[in-house]
Amino acid sequence: MINLAYLENETEREKTASKYPVIKKHKTLFSSKNFSGWLLLLPGLILFGFFVWGPMVMNVIYSFFDGYSLKNFIGFDNYMYIFNDSMFQAALQNTFYYIFWSLLIGFFAPIIIGLLLSEVVLGKSFFRMIIYLPCIISGIAVAFLFKSLYDPEPYAIFNVILKSLGLPTSLFADDPSLAIPLIVVAMTWRGAGGTVLIYLSAIQTIDPSQYEAVRLDGGGLIRRIQYVTWPVLKPTISTLLIMQVISVFQVFYEPMIIGNSNIHSISMMLLSYNYAFSDGKPQLGAAVSVILSLIIIVFTGIYFAVTAYFKRRHDYAA
Amino acid sequence: MRLKDKTNGLLNFSDYKKPRFHILYAVIIFLLILVVLTALLPVFWLIVSSFKSVQEINSTTFSFFPDVFDINKIWQVWQKENFGKYFFNSIIVTSGAVVCAVIFNGLMAYVISIVKPKGYKVMYVMIMISYMIPAITGMIPLFKWLSDINMTDNYLPLMLIFGANAFYFINFKNYFDMIPRSLFEAAKIDGCSDLKIFTHVVLPLSRPIVGVVAIFAMTGAWSDFLLPYLLLNDSDLYTIMVEIYQVQNTLGNGFTYDEFLMLLVISIIPQIIVFFIFQKQITSSASNAGIKE
Repeated sequence: MINLAYLENETEREKTASKYPVIKKHKTLFSSKNFSGWLLLLPGLILFGFFVWGPMVMNVIYSFFDGYSLKNFIGFDNYMYIFNDSMFQAALQNTFYYIFWSLLIGFFAPIIIGLLLSEVVLGKSFFRMIIYLPCIISGIAVAFLFKSLYDPEPYAIFNVILKSLGLPTSLFADDPSLAIPLIVVAMTWRGAGGTVLIYLSAIQTIDPSQYEAVRLDGGGLIRRIQYVTWPVLKPTISTLLIMQVISVFQVFYEPMIIGNSNIHSISMMLLSYNYAFSDGKPQLGAAVSVILSLIIIVFTGIYFAVTAYFKRRHDYAA
Repeated sequence: MRLKDKTNGLLNFSDYKKPRFHILYAVIIFLLILVVLTALLPVFWLIVSSFKSVQEINSTTFSFFPDVFDINKIWQVWQKENFGKYFFNSIIVTSGAVVCAVIFNGLMAYVISIVKPKGYKVMYVMIMISYMIPAITGMIPLFKWLSDINMTDNYLPLMLIFGANAFYFINFKNYFDMIPRSLFEAAKIDGCSDLKIFTHVVLPLSRPIVGVVAIFAMTGAWSDFLLPYLLLNDSDLYTIMVEIYQVQNTLGNGFTYDEFLMLLVISIIPQIIVFFIFQKQITSSASNAGIKE
């Protein structure tokens, strides 16, 4: 009985307490807000530490040692080794070919498709859905799909089409000069839909009255794009440009499956994997990963510097 | 809506009074139909080819369609190596990954967006840095660690890794940033703990973004190949993508090429079904998220 009465008093006390809350100021490190906040962050901290940040740091460490055991510090020997390896030189060179082709094939098409799509009156959601569809198919399945499309046999689908057009047959991805462009086609086929939707949503933020103003001044289609669409799209275009360059560095399944891991199309990511898991030299793979990360950091840095520069100039002008 | 009522966009009703703009519109639709065909034909070709026999695929006379469309072939190939097993494995991994993706990234985004304990900015910056550098670059040390603690042939790391994803985190944080702060103050005054605010206030208010991250994680985990391939040695534990890769590697050894293509079709069917069910949420979130996975 006594306990019950106590409990009743307790709830009573709680009620008054919630009616007149005592608002604490969180100044100390161990205040309840900081403590419970970090307690809730703990699971994420552990997961990010284990799966993301830790491996990044370990890559740098492994790249200075011989093998997984951290006993033999060998300085920059791993880096010296890979820089003298013709496979690495090829992968580094291929990376820039990948960027070139992916900008040529995959960069402008989504902008144009986004513009076309925004003008559609009927069935816009149908077009949007189908254009996005390839994005949800898994990367490795897409690589297998394009590998079978790029079948070099003379009776395979593309060679039959080439023959019917009176053109010579092709080896497709087995042809060293075609491997990278064809891999980029496969990457673009899978990735373009997502980019189109991002451009579409940027285009749809444009106020129609701006177009109307240009129109009243007698501006045709070109002027409307030049004075209204382009300024709105510029920040999105520059963001997606850097995102595309970064995503090209990650290319992995396509050169492995379509390009058979051969020297004409090998990427840095794939080479890192091959060093570690085919050649049993994880320290070399780690060194490649570190170089790849550094290149990405430099590209991102350039991107931020350039956007900051343009923003400053814009602010001065305004 | 019809062309003469169109008031937004580059071309509006006053342009469409002129016939030449009608031609331009026809060109726009024509180009978009070409894009749609480009998106669909490879998948369609894959499905059609998977119904052919090996002799037909390797025949020197080309035909687009197979001689016979035997729908039973799907079932035969499915049964041939007990494909249901790999399907089931993939479903387990995917469900676990979805739960991890929502709970852990959501909780982190909640603390960084709303609770903001002292020093939260350090965490935020570190997550943003890891967003720029692809996580795949850490595969070598991660594999080493997981082998050291005997986590090979275990689904746990394949699920938990989805709980540390900067892309999902950003999705959550952007959404939480938009929830009015007064709601949390009210809950706080009512004596809710931070965790309770997350489960009872934030999550119910954030159903759209939970759905979006769940869908992303679902397609992501279903497609996941590299880590499962490295970690799973026991062929009974293979996920569907790993099994497909193994079938392709040992082609002619049990499976023929057309049967491999059929397995490929079967493996992407769940993703396509999920996409058609949730296409509205997926396409609208893909455009809002700003950045692809």
